[in-house]
Amino acid sequence: MTALRPVSLTAEWMAAARAVESEQADALFVDPLARDLASANGFELLDKYPNGGLRQFIWIRTKFLDDSVTGLRPADGIEQVVLLAAGLDTRAFRLDWPAGVVVYEVDHGPLVEEKQRRLDRLGAKPKVPRHAVAADLTTQWLPDLVRAGFDPGRPTLWIVEGVTFFLTPQQAADLFVTLADASAPGSRLDLDILGGALLRNPFSRAFLDAMRADGRPWLFGTDEPAEFLAEAGWKVRELKEPGQPGIGERRWPYAVQPRDRRGANRLWLVRAEVVSRG
Amino acid sequence: MNSGVAKVKDWILGRHAERDELAPEENIIDSRLVDSMSFIELIYVIESASGAEIDFDTIDLADFQSLAAIDRAFFSRGAR
Repeated sequence: MTALRPVSLTAEWMAAARAVESEQADALFVDPLARDLASANGFELLDKYPNGGLRQFIWIRTKFLDDSVTGLRPADGIEQVVLLAAGLDTRAFRLDWPAGVVVYEVDHGPLVEEKQRRLDRLGAKPKVPRHAVAADLTTQWLPDLVRAGFDPGRPTLWIVEGVTFFLTPQQAADLFVTLADASAPGSRLDLDILGGALLRNPFSRAFLDAMRADGRPWLFGTDEPAEFLAEAGWKVRELKEPGQPGIGERRWPYAVQPRDRRGANRLWLVRAEVVSRG
Repeated sequence: MNSGVAKVKDWILGRHAERDELAPEENIIDSRLVDSMSFIELIYVIESASGAEIDFDTIDLADFQSLAAIDRAFFSRGAR
């Protein structure tokens, strides 16, 4: 029996996917902690949901967001990175972080505690000043982040990975408004968003039904991510899809569909910046 | 098998090097020969081979579950 709740089983699932990629000869990234963090639960879920492209997408997304961190330059002025609903992410332990950056990992308390237990057991040491913040993302969580040392007056890179799927459209919109309000000029938001058609696609139905039955329904997606984020105060800098040049094309087993093609399943990878107000 | 369905079959087998045959009644969805990401490509292959336009809003999964079903739904209508 696991100490983690359903959404944390998802964290173990993601870790299992990262472990599999890490063991490829030409891995997009290497997460040496992933296999131990995933536990048997994660690998069970990985086998249970062999849905189209999901594990490849997790690999490509991991690399895309790794690049968001390692691509930071002093001129960007970003010295705090926040991983929202960080799950069993190990970027603090495996990436080469720019000097002067502090990372905050936000997730709910039981997961934060269990993750730390597992990391301690593995003797893992972060490569960057790291603060694990126990917070409930469905309530007012920002004060918890500030208490941990986060400064809304300084530019931030927010990483919101595999999160919005599980929110309602309103919750997703509210989250990005909250992030924009807590973002100094120069702040960035890098994330993934499901395409809206994917949630309506009859070929996705069996997978979506299984996710719902297991208590982790996918609720939110949009075919217009730039417009959606603009409403919340974010301007998209890069809008990518897996399989595009430089976006994991050697891992992606599908044709990238032209943007004007209706009905295609989209998995958006986004880099955005906060729109300065006033 | 008419030439349109043969094109669909070739497309599916072309994606799966481990397969060299596909029976008309084999369920291509349950067997994951076509999945939620590749279905869009299947639809365009069918459209291109049949000349028909498929309406995404009224798709019936049953029409896509085997080569025989695809044949009935998109290539043999005039013969019914």
